[in-house]
Amino acid sequence: MPAGQVALDFIDFCEKQTDLLAIENRFVATLNALGFEHIACASHVDPLRPRPGAVSIVNYPMAWLQQYSAENFAYIDPVFLAARIMTAPFNWDECLSKMRLDRAQKRVLAEGAAYGLTGGITIPLRSPDVIPASCSLVAGADGVEPLDMAHTLMVVVYGHGAMHRRLNPNALVDPVVLPSRERQCLALAGQGKSDWAIGELLGINARTAHNSIERAKKRYGVSHRVQAVVRAVFDGQIMLDDLSN
Amino acid sequence: MIYIVTAENRRRFYHLLTEMHRQRKQVFIDQLKWRLEESAGLEIDAYDSEDAIYLIEAATPRGGISVSARLLPTNRPHLLSDQFRDLCGAGPPSGPNVWEATRFCPAPDTASGAPRRMLLGRIIAGIMETALLFGIDEVTYVASAALAPMAKAAGWQVRALGAGRGKGRDKIQAFAATIDADGLRRVRANFDISAPLTRFAPAEAARAA
Repeated sequence: MPAGQVALDFIDFCEKQTDLLAIENRFVATLNALGFEHIACASHVDPLRPRPGAVSIVNYPMAWLQQYSAENFAYIDPVFLAARIMTAPFNWDECLSKMRLDRAQKRVLAEGAAYGLTGGITIPLRSPDVIPASCSLVAGADGVEPLDMAHTLMVVVYGHGAMHRRLNPNALVDPVVLPSRERQCLALAGQGKSDWAIGELLGINARTAHNSIERAKKRYGVSHRVQAVVRAVFDGQIMLDDLSN
Repeated sequence: MIYIVTAENRRRFYHLLTEMHRQRKQVFIDQLKWRLEESAGLEIDAYDSEDAIYLIEAATPRGGISVSARLLPTNRPHLLSDQFRDLCGAGPPSGPNVWEATRFCPAPDTASGAPRRMLLGRIIAGIMETALLFGIDEVTYVASAALAPMAKAAGWQVRALGAGRGKGRDKIQAFAATIDADGLRRVRANFDISAPLTRFAPAEAARAA
């Protein structure tokens, strides 16, 4: 079957199927059919300890996953680092050759290579989870048809989205939106300003500034203003730029 | 040797094809700064398809590539008909016996000068052998000011299709080369090639998964 049809059939399947496990199995089978033997579509955490609500499809060799987990490679894995920085799909050889890697990071790559994990590609994925995510693919012995790349990307991006929706059915229902006063106050709190200083800068009462930040904390369900700042930055309600003086 | 990769046998050349697209990204996008699309480090354009014929020089089907090129049938959309029509005074030569050669790509680490010229000679010999095998009479190509004189001097018979576009180093011009045994003999003599370079491997029986 042509790769375009394989990809469209997969999307069609995801639209109709509500069972997460069935989508996961079809996801792996579809990528196998496109020539990929090893697949890791997951948040950047220890693959043997996935986060609740996060997609975690990993079929790397178990012995490698156990070593990876035991040695906490998730924190230093150069592929994860690159996936956080890159905005578009990349191949390991090209991207990692440009990075300055320390000995421990080179060891992760070398030991993964011993399990056949070489020459892979990684597709950075946007995940509403707090942890970044990506999908890494390693071709089987026969290689993959380069002309199928676009269809492969389609399967990965759509499949990840479908699995994420099944895992987090309420993600879209109640997004936090900060009113502008709360956003302003929280951004200044993020610069380390006190209630008094925030009041002076915005021409409002210190009490008002304090209450605005309290309301923002409540919206996020957190108990400290640092937590609220971090959540607002992650949500994009506050830009990192807003935090520099 | 130069592998001839077609729709029939490309299944067994996925590794070489992927490596070729990777080299094309490094050469045309990273080095020459052509404005082309890339995805996951591969340069693939609208003319890359199963119908294109690729010539890839490598020691083995899993080995490193020294040079590659793409041949497009001209009875379907190709670059001269779509992108460079203005380079041909009387319309681009086309038809079942005409191919267009594009994406001449020496490996990114090839030294300029003699090594590059040698690869151009080898790929031209490969193009002529393949064209003779498939019964092609003429091969068209677009060349930059740097490449055009070298391609012309390779030994095949070349005619310009128009005056070209641009000035100095940025000039590009379209050419048509005649494919015949005499021309192939001259190219082989010029580049010290004593035997056929190309290999046409049959499609492999599909392996059980």
